[in-house]
Amino acid sequence: MPEVPISPAAVIELLTAEHILEPQEPITPDTDLFSMGLDSMAMMQLLLLIEERFRLTINPAEMTRERFATAAALAGFLEEKRRLAA
Amino acid sequence: MSILPATTVDFFLAGLEAFMRRSGQGTHWGVTVLRLKSKPDAPTLTQGWEQVHAQHPMLGARLKRQWRGWRWVWETHGAITAPPICWHPAQVLPPDEAVIQERLQGRSSAGALTSPLWMEVFPCGADGEHVILLTWRHALLDGTGINLLLEKLAVGSCTSGPPLLTATPIDKPALLYKRARPLMDRLQAMTTAGCLSAWIKGMPQNGRPEHRLIELSRDESGEAVARLRALCGDFMQMPFYAAMAARALRLLHEGRGWSSPEIHLHLPIQLRGRSRELIFGNHMGAMPLFLDAGELGSLEQTVTHLLEKYREAMKQGMPQASDALTNLAAHLPLSTFIPLVRWTNMGQICSLFHSHTGSFLPGRTEFAGAAVENVFTIPSVSAPPGLGIFVSDYAGLITVTLAWRGDGVSQAEIKAMEQRIRTDLTGMAEERPQ
Repeated sequence: MPEVPISPAAVIELLTAEHILEPQEPITPDTDLFSMGLDSMAMMQLLLLIEERFRLTINPAEMTRERFATAAALAGFLEEKRRLAA
Repeated sequence: MSILPATTVDFFLAGLEAFMRRSGQGTHWGVTVLRLKSKPDAPTLTQGWEQVHAQHPMLGARLKRQWRGWRWVWETHGAITAPPICWHPAQVLPPDEAVIQERLQGRSSAGALTSPLWMEVFPCGADGEHVILLTWRHALLDGTGINLLLEKLAVGSCTSGPPLLTATPIDKPALLYKRARPLMDRLQAMTTAGCLSAWIKGMPQNGRPEHRLIELSRDESGEAVARLRALCGDFMQMPFYAAMAARALRLLHEGRGWSSPEIHLHLPIQLRGRSRELIFGNHMGAMPLFLDAGELGSLEQTVTHLLEKYREAMKQGMPQASDALTNLAAHLPLSTFIPLVRWTNMGQICSLFHSHTGSFLPGRTEFAGAAVENVFTIPSVSAPPGLGIFVSDYAGLITVTLAWRGDGVSQAEIKAMEQRIRTDLTGMAEERPQ
């Protein structure tokens, strides 16, 4: 199966389609995800979904506030992980 | 009269409370302690308190079965009048364990508490310090709800009521059964393996609620947070603290010469789709996790093992299975729910109760105009499991509460667990007797 491209839009789609976030207004690449309700208890679910969707392995210790602050930051982190894994 | 939807956790807690009452353990109360550096502003506090009661009829709600759909709902009867805030006379020391124990039994010196939410203010010490005790019924409030309540009381304003809640559709029993199956299989396997708690048959159940606070200093808390981040990043606080709690229980089992091949954790997880603005009514679902006792050698090993189990459980749909199983059980009379759980779990409910639901009052340094020193909760626990290990966090200051019942856990065991917890959290070596 081909790799699913990583982009802020793909991250936003993952967050909303899988009900990790249930936003009242649209999420942009720079929206603060924590203000939209992304909480610690949803993070394990998000981690598993990211691993499944983008076929990457993430160590929980890598899950920092900066990397998960926005869809753009998260996409950047995931792209870097994929690049290093290649 | 209005009807609000209830969750499966509301049913779980109501079932637990029914079991507690029948076994002489009283009502399920918790206490939140706010240590303030000065006197809180009385008008601010009173205004917030009265507005919360006026806006939230859930404070007078009763969980009842609705004929239509045979589901549990909260029945409310309009605005509630706030009980007066009790301002105690000045005293030298903060309220002691006996006062908190009395509140955990639903009593004050004046008699039984007649509302699910009580506030008392204790001026103590010569430096103007004040302690606020909030006593609350767990049936109506959880850790997330307490924090939301504190946010309102901190600013003395609560101008809106609860968000509009919609009832989730009723699933067919066959579908619930299918969804619950992974957990049922797991519980069946556990029946063979056997998971112990701090309580076994023959031990008393009706002892008074006891507690011990493990207050980490600013430096120790810094060490704990650094360890947490190194092992679990910025978000996985629950697995880190749950690993610590599992190891403390394992120590207790070892000390007693008990063999429990697994530790059955029952961790709170945020219910998806549940409004974050809801103060009263539970936000949490339950995530059952089964740790192999042989994998708890060090905190690092336990965290790794727990994260693996967490992953596995999420993949197997355990949170959904737990919700589905409780949903199925909700068709039964309330009083039969916990007995059924105990029948399935060889007399146990789970190995221990544990929670860490985030920081209290994040970003806030003042509460009703007074500087905050610390905030933590002291829940009561039932027997079984007979032991609860809870973590509170205010502005990076960590407080661990050990809660147990009567003579169910000895002082020597509490001391040993405290030492283990301090070592695990801070990484500092245990003091060994000379």
